[in-house]
Amino acid sequence: MVTLDQVRRKLGPGVEFYCEQFHAPEGAQIALWGPSGCGKSTMLNLISGLLRPSSGVIKIGEHETQRMSNGQLDRLRGEQFGFVFQTFNLLAPFTALQNVMLGMRFSDTRPSKEWRRHAIELLERVGLKHRIHSRPGTMSVGERQRIAIARALANKQRIVVADEPTGSLDPKTAAAVMDLLLQMCGENKVTLLLVTHDQGIANQLPERFDCTGLAREVAQ
Amino acid sequence: MTLWHIAWNYLWNRKLTTFLTILSVTLGVGLITAVLLLSYEVERRFVQEGQMFDIAVGAKGSTQQLVLSTIYYIGQPAGIMPADYYNKLKAEPDVLAAFPITMGDSFKGFRIVGTTRQMLEFDWRDRVTNERRGTYDLASGAYFSRPLEAVIGATVAKDTGLQVGDKFASTHGMMEMEGIERHEDTPYTVVGVLKPSGSPTDRAIFADYESIYDVHEHEYGTPSLFGRDFGNDEAVTAEPKGEHQQGESDHHDGESDHHGDKDSEHADHEHFDPREKLTAVLLVLDSPGQRFEFNQRISEEYPNAVAAVPILEIQALYNQLLGTARLVMLYIGFLVIIISSISIVIGLYLSIIQRKRDLAIMRALGASSGEVVGAVLIEAFWVTLLGLVTGYAAGLGLTWGIGAYLVQTIGFKVSVFSPSPDMISAYSAILIMGMIAGILPAWQAYRTDVARDLAEL
Repeated sequence: MVTLDQVRRKLGPGVEFYCEQFHAPEGAQIALWGPSGCGKSTMLNLISGLLRPSSGVIKIGEHETQRMSNGQLDRLRGEQFGFVFQTFNLLAPFTALQNVMLGMRFSDTRPSKEWRRHAIELLERVGLKHRIHSRPGTMSVGERQRIAIARALANKQRIVVADEPTGSLDPKTAAAVMDLLLQMCGENKVTLLLVTHDQGIANQLPERFDCTGLAREVAQ
Repeated sequence: MTLWHIAWNYLWNRKLTTFLTILSVTLGVGLITAVLLLSYEVERRFVQEGQMFDIAVGAKGSTQQLVLSTIYYIGQPAGIMPADYYNKLKAEPDVLAAFPITMGDSFKGFRIVGTTRQMLEFDWRDRVTNERRGTYDLASGAYFSRPLEAVIGATVAKDTGLQVGDKFASTHGMMEMEGIERHEDTPYTVVGVLKPSGSPTDRAIFADYESIYDVHEHEYGTPSLFGRDFGNDEAVTAEPKGEHQQGESDHHDGESDHHGDKDSEHADHEHFDPREKLTAVLLVLDSPGQRFEFNQRISEEYPNAVAAVPILEIQALYNQLLGTARLVMLYIGFLVIIISSISIVIGLYLSIIQRKRDLAIMRALGASSGEVVGAVLIEAFWVTLLGLVTGYAAGLGLTWGIGAYLVQTIGFKVSVFSPSPDMISAYSAILIMGMIAGILPAWQAYRTDVARDLAEL
């Protein structure tokens, strides 16, 4: 499903990202773990097309993303990727329902008349049906992350990338969010790539990829 | 959920900033709307009134002063001319109707206009559309039929409380102040009240021209106007007073059926004693197309008079005075719009800076650069559109207020709901400026570095 082959990306003066090989089959749940600054978030951004590689091959299904135009990448990201961030990254002016619908707005995976019904189903699935008209600012951090998970799965995505999804949560809430994320990705046979620096969180996933040393110093 | 909804939600999310930005657009649009509506309406109304009479003939002096004083009842007439000119002008072959005008007195600041009953009874029609004009339609009573009977305009009736049957003493000149000379011995009797027409007639008092002579002859023993002798004039030729009195008698006894028919019997009897003086003679020609030729001829054949085509004078005056004022006000309005556009740029730009992360999230969710730019431009469009709508409403309100004042002061009714053709151009320009104001913030949004903006906390 996701393959990286000798991917390089310049990060700054004398620093580059280099991943020789990485492969995540469809439906896999892999923790990308390592210490802060090791390059795990850069790897996630390269996979999701938010960053372009300087060289190498990145394959998402049949697509080699380094060959794709910006517009094609935008479409691919909207249709195949779901994002869950440490700081939730919900849009404050919109309600929980609208935030989930926004996940569908920028892709063509579902007709617009289905957006609302499907968003309500997802929010019900993450236990927030009673808060569909609430804005993120009025909700707890756990509720916000559950909305983010619902949004990440709104488009029949094939890949969910989660960057420290429990980093802002207390242990109890973090455990509940992890359970929900793993369960929902499993139910939908979605490939989950989860970035964490916490080995305990990483151990909750069936597979782990050690990112230590991906960001490295090079001679200028 | 469309880009319009998304843009609207962002505007709604920062209500105060949005409100203040819209307010600044509103001020500019309101000012431009009021200036355009008022200038268009004032010009239209001035032209409409100016179209009633084809030619105004008066004493030598300023033609604009002649037109303003005798048709719009603004300011003082330049002087007086031999009344015999009326007889000659009326006999001119191209003249459909001629109306003498004498002025000099007033009542509580409202000008008393001496003329003939025929002017009020004339079948007035718009010279362009031929629609009937109710400028002198009666609300109550009847037209005057003898000297010292008066027909008052609607505003006069409202402001003075005069009704049919009431008497009032005129004041010498236009000033109303303590100790001013009043013609108490020759009071006027109100015999009719005109319907409101939104024209200068609302603020005028009409009486038979003989009234003016009667009042002043009684006071000063002379038939000349303004209480002073006119002096020698080459154009004045002696004729027996008896002939005039005969004519006067006929006029008073008979009901007029003139109605624009210059050959009517009554018109033939309307002759002035040549010793008398007139402020002006207003002419309606057989065709408006004869105005220029006729005007030229009067200048050559009536040495002590000056002739003016009212519509030309008023358009010239409009362009000289109001045209410049209109331009100045429009410039101010557009300056406000430019400032508003800058505030749109600042408001949106700051908003884009503040929500770079939101834009990055939208990009991460699959929004293209074009969609993000579109959402920002739509925000600029919303602000400008709302500013236009509220500005238009504010402009209408302002125009209504000024219009009410104009009706009170100079009798000009301004129709609020008659949009000027220039307004469409002005509003289009404002919308375009609003969209241009959105370009810089949109460009900033276009350059969103998604990965960096998402990483920044």
